[in-house]
Amino acid sequence: MPEVPWIIKYRPKRITDVVDQEEAKNEFIAWLNRWLAGRPDKKAALLHGPPGCGKTSLVEATAKEYKLELIEMNASDFRRREDINRIAKVAATKSSLFGRKKIILLDEVDGISGTADRGALDAILELLEITKHPVVLTANDPWDPKLRTLRDQCKLIGFKRLPKRAIISVLKTICQRERLVCEYPALDYIAERAEGDLRSAINDLQAVAATTKRITLNIVKAVVYSRYREYNPFEMLRKLFTSKYLWQAKAALSSSNLDYDMIKQWIAENIPNQYSDPEELWRAFEALARADQYMGRIIKTQSWDLLAYAMDMEAAVAIAQKKPTYRFVKYSFPQKIMLLAKTREVREVRDALAKVIASHLHISSALAKSEVIPYLKVIFEANPRYAARLALGLNLTENMVKYLAGNRYRKVLDYLKRFRSGETLTSRTTIRRRTRSK
Amino acid sequence: MSVEAELLWAEKYRPKTLDEMVNQEEIISRLKQFVKSKNMPHCLFAGPPGTGKTTAAHCLARDLYGPEYHRWFLELNASDARGIDVIRTTVKEFARSIVPGPVPFKIIVLDEADNMTADAQQALRRLMEMYTTTCRFILIANYPSKIIEPIQSRTAFFRFTPLKPEDIIARLKWIADQENVKYDEEAMKTIYEISEGDLRRAINILQAASALGGRITVEAVYKVVGRAHPREIREMLKLALDGKFVEARDKLREVMINYGLSGLDIIKQVHREIFSSEMKLPEDLRVLIADYAGEVQFRLVEGADDEIQLSAFLARLALLGKKFKV
Repeated sequence: MPEVPWIIKYRPKRITDVVDQEEAKNEFIAWLNRWLAGRPDKKAALLHGPPGCGKTSLVEATAKEYKLELIEMNASDFRRREDINRIAKVAATKSSLFGRKKIILLDEVDGISGTADRGALDAILELLEITKHPVVLTANDPWDPKLRTLRDQCKLIGFKRLPKRAIISVLKTICQRERLVCEYPALDYIAERAEGDLRSAINDLQAVAATTKRITLNIVKAVVYSRYREYNPFEMLRKLFTSKYLWQAKAALSSSNLDYDMIKQWIAENIPNQYSDPEELWRAFEALARADQYMGRIIKTQSWDLLAYAMDMEAAVAIAQKKPTYRFVKYSFPQKIMLLAKTREVREVRDALAKVIASHLHISSALAKSEVIPYLKVIFEANPRYAARLALGLNLTENMVKYLAGNRYRKVLDYLKRFRSGETLTSRTTIRRRTRSK
Repeated sequence: MSVEAELLWAEKYRPKTLDEMVNQEEIISRLKQFVKSKNMPHCLFAGPPGTGKTTAAHCLARDLYGPEYHRWFLELNASDARGIDVIRTTVKEFARSIVPGPVPFKIIVLDEADNMTADAQQALRRLMEMYTTTCRFILIANYPSKIIEPIQSRTAFFRFTPLKPEDIIARLKWIADQENVKYDEEAMKTIYEISEGDLRRAINILQAASALGGRITVEAVYKVVGRAHPREIREMLKLALDGKFVEARDKLREVMINYGLSGLDIIKQVHREIFSSEMKLPEDLRVLIADYAGEVQFRLVEGADDEIQLSAFLARLALLGKKFKV
């Protein structure tokens, strides 16, 4: 079953649920109250503001809370005569004594193109003339010249770009409800990219959640970037690899808004796609490796003036070829990032295991991974019974046993089960007895 | 059926008291002086892995405070504790808490202290001064030269030397006897050679070899070592030398992700492989590869990206492989 888009699933049900925009809310409610009291100052309200800041949501939530029937129409449909008639008919009819009151919403009126849809604008004006119900219009840019006559008929209510913290707090709530584990920097990153557009932020979050239940910064970068055409890494690579001069290559690098680490990953992934000659391949990788070395130094010493050299070396990847060749190259997404996302569970088990061993042997997790786990694997693959005894003594989880024993894990678990049920001695008393008898 | 939960032998047979330690005699006698006078300075234990540094710290604490010494003993690993802030908070809490007992000071062990940046070490120095009336620090390091001067001058220095072959072999035999495992004399020598003087590694190999079942022979030891070192590393090198860069890089990713090995772990194993008899390479090629491996290792220590540096290494191999027509 396809999942409901979260922007629908989580749209506000009450006016207070609409994030931020207190000023706009107050103005809107005041205008609506005057309407419902029968004395509208303006027959229509024009809600304007950047995309995804809550214009439509406010109207929907208000309709719910005031128990108004919402007659919604996208303005781009407005050129069809029958639709106009339908709305006009509704608008002109005063609701009966017991019938529900109505509110008419015309979304995205700036989507009407001025000349081609001349008729639509006239129809809206006509509607405002006859309506007996509040009419709400929304637009991103109310100052569009084609809306001038319409603007005069409307009460203008401005919405502000949403602040980052407001977006983050909504994302957090969704994460909780969807039971996602999320890193704060990941949400911060999504919110930053959204530039005040809550709708796109929620869409991004859902896109990321479709690949993993653990929202980390790396995965977000991988998934969210590909959504933005202006940050298109494929374009950056194409420009970089077709550069003849270093200044072109540097321009290509700086044309991209990917951060330095991601640029590095994209280039590293695609060098072998671009260069097949071993000499060129090596020259390109060595240039990138040098750039990477500079970046390591920058991070370590915070000497950002080294960045210029890092960029020089990164640009040098472009001139690694011996003579220019023109051919179409298909670039690919950095596999490292996908692999990390895919192997998350295995890596978590391995890291947890390393921690157990590290505290058992008083060493670091890194040392446990490189020095101890390999030998444990040998034991677990070769001797299930002995492995089960170790699993018992080290208190390993089933997943850890699976990780160590590979496809022989069933045998180890069988022994483990037998030991656990049949043994009266706990591991601790056993150990103590042996130490004493020594 | 009598079944006992088993532990790793490196822990099971770790000496409990200073008396049980069989080597580093000079160090042990100095530490025993501390026990006698019930006082000690801040200490710096330095030496190669598996020479008894951590064990000595535990034994010292136990000899001072008895089997319950853990109540006054904090062990931190600088590689695991993320950043000096974590260390600072943990140390602060530990130093502040009051644990009743006839104990003049608590002991804080900071393992792999040489992995800390110079800045973090400066902060550590301040911590040491701040809690010097209530706590003693034992810093443990592989390379004392990576510990900053002010800390070195505030600590009593103990240099742990690599264990003598006869010490390691004697210990291995003793463990084997405790476990009722039969062994060939030659097998023990082989374990020593592979362990490079690292007793922990030697004991791990011994335990794995005994788990294969039956007598511990030279073959069993080689079998363990062969299986424990990821085959993928050799395969990766061969693919790269064969000019198959993309496949080699896939192997690299496999090793990094499946085994969780760091770039440094990998380049060190690569270095071993280059000189192994399994890799049939011209001598001058070996030198060229080793030279570049050293360069890559240096860059990784400096903080460069594992995958990018190792990719460059593989690209280098692909080029050298073509030139030498291996």
